[in-house]
Amino acid sequence: MSLNGSTSNGLQRLTAQLAPLLIVCALVFALPVLLNNDFLLNKVARYLVLGILTISLGLSWGFGGILNLGQAMSFGLGSYAMAMALKLKTIPVHTGASGLPDFMVWNNVQALPWFWVPFRSLPFAIAAGMIVPALVAAALGWFMFRGRVTGVYVSIITLATMVVINLVIIDQQSYTGGFNGITDLAQLEIFGVAFDAYGRATYYLVAGCMMLSLLVAFAFTKSRAGLIVQAIRDHESRVRYFGYDVALYQIFVFALSAAIAGLAGMLYTVVMEFASPTFLGVQLSLSVVVWCAVGGRQSLVGSFLGAVLVAGMQGALSESAAFLETWTLVMGALFVLVVLFLPKGLAGLAQVVWRWIVQRRQAAGGVAQGVGQTEGST
Amino acid sequence: MDQFIEQIITGLSIGSILLLVALGLSIIYGSMGIINLAHGEFVMLGAYAAWVFHTYLGLGLLASLVPIFLVVAAFGWVIERFVLSLLNNRPLDTILATWGVGIMLQQAVRLMVGSELRYVQLPPALSGSMELFGLSVSSYRMFLFIVSLALFAATWLLMNRTTVGMKLRAIIQDRSVAASFGVNAKRVYALTFAYGAGLAGLAGALVSPLKSVSPDMGTGYVVDAFMVVVLGGVQSLAGTVASAFILGELSGGIAFLQNDTVAKAIVLLAIVVLIRFRPEGLFTARVRA
Repeated sequence: MSLNGSTSNGLQRLTAQLAPLLIVCALVFALPVLLNNDFLLNKVARYLVLGILTISLGLSWGFGGILNLGQAMSFGLGSYAMAMALKLKTIPVHTGASGLPDFMVWNNVQALPWFWVPFRSLPFAIAAGMIVPALVAAALGWFMFRGRVTGVYVSIITLATMVVINLVIIDQQSYTGGFNGITDLAQLEIFGVAFDAYGRATYYLVAGCMMLSLLVAFAFTKSRAGLIVQAIRDHESRVRYFGYDVALYQIFVFALSAAIAGLAGMLYTVVMEFASPTFLGVQLSLSVVVWCAVGGRQSLVGSFLGAVLVAGMQGALSESAAFLETWTLVMGALFVLVVLFLPKGLAGLAQVVWRWIVQRRQAAGGVAQGVGQTEGST
Repeated sequence: MDQFIEQIITGLSIGSILLLVALGLSIIYGSMGIINLAHGEFVMLGAYAAWVFHTYLGLGLLASLVPIFLVVAAFGWVIERFVLSLLNNRPLDTILATWGVGIMLQQAVRLMVGSELRYVQLPPALSGSMELFGLSVSSYRMFLFIVSLALFAATWLLMNRTTVGMKLRAIIQDRSVAASFGVNAKRVYALTFAYGAGLAGLAGALVSPLKSVSPDMGTGYVVDAFMVVVLGGVQSLAGTVASAFILGELSGGIAFLQNDTVAKAIVLLAIVVLIRFRPEGLFTARVRA
């Protein structure tokens, strides 16, 4: 047997855990070769972005035990950051170059509001798209976890906070575009590469970010901090008695998850070519929870695939209204069944099946060996 | 002065609707620890039941209240038996399961009756208005105010003056000890959930003449009802009443001074801050652990 020493054993286990992740990434990168249809690629890119969002929830919920019902808040903030920058790149019809965005003109705003000004710089916007959600989450996390708020109350607070921000964005129409969101955006352009929503470049951008998010999240779960976060999920007070600053770790995973969600939000704006208050709505936020639960909240690849499969299926069926309505019903039933019988989601199921196959094979090998031995003795 | 009294009355009216919707949720959350996200759908089912009884059987709203209660309670009983009782030790998962159930109920209604708005008639006897402190007030709103208080009284009596209520309180304190004294916890839980669902159904039926009935009407109610329960304190029925009227007056007042959106945002923020500093709610005395 090749199991000599614990390091090679650990390495083997790490490879085994990393393998599904890399296989999924390879498939995602290989897809454009097989699928020569820009419209479909755009759709797939959209599902990949939702997958990144779901990875971010898996990180805080599956690994940190923090059921954030307002995950779409970070997503929406990222999306608006990107949309603001791209909006300022357009040439307004009414006010000419570097003038006011059209919806501000319609709302009689005279000068560009102060919080819009820095978004003239694209690097600032890209940084803000991740840092602002992370800071907001850190502040909210500080507020909650320093007060030892846990469980259901975390869910209620995160949901309520998201609804408040959503209401404010809809209400402040002259600064945010209100109910319509921010539309008519310029194309994203980095180092001379233009990211057309229907182009290959955008698809690879999304795929690259997806791989990056998966790897960062994976590395975090294997790091010391990641292990402590998982320990907190399983038994908070025990970790506290060991002298760890529980709240600090919770705040960190909460903020990291928000930053990844913010990245997803920015990509979503590029893929969809607009930003809208629905991006931080209750509907999307709860859908993310469903995807994550169906895919397997304690598996990063699982949550990603859960989002891509379920959202993809929904998208494929949405061509016909009757199908979509029935699908929603089936979706609800599927979700209830998963919660009841598969608390670890499809990833958990895959694990069970995989173990069963391995055991069968080992058993078969054992029998063969036994047969060989008896043959040898005769 | 008139305007002030009018504002108070508006607040009381909002408050009585909040109380109607929150009462069932308060029972379920307070006694079973289940965050029932399908509560809004029970409200919606009640409203549709009122519409069905009226349209197909010609029953008036008041005459159909008892059957509506029973129908929606039956739904609740089935859901408790076949879904929630399997999740005894996973309180956070009840959020997910009840949400899934909510989606199914909503979608089933949409498929069966369509998503167009439906209207339920006011009971003719209550369609007028009456004089109160020199102001004319809709009789139906007055009626709702009285009914909400009556339902609260009935629930309080049920909890504190009947054997079932006593058993339930025993289970809340210590489920295993209660069970070893022969209390059938499963049955009591199923009945409690059914009762809470039935109350939600009644709430839906009672508000249906004031608002239009649609498959997604429940979503708004469930959030409001939660805020009432959280503000009032999880295991305090009296707290639920107080917080329903406080929230009613607050939303009415801020909406009058600012606008509906600002009112909603401020009330939500206030509740977020409250949960952080007083998770047991405003009106709960410390419960023995």
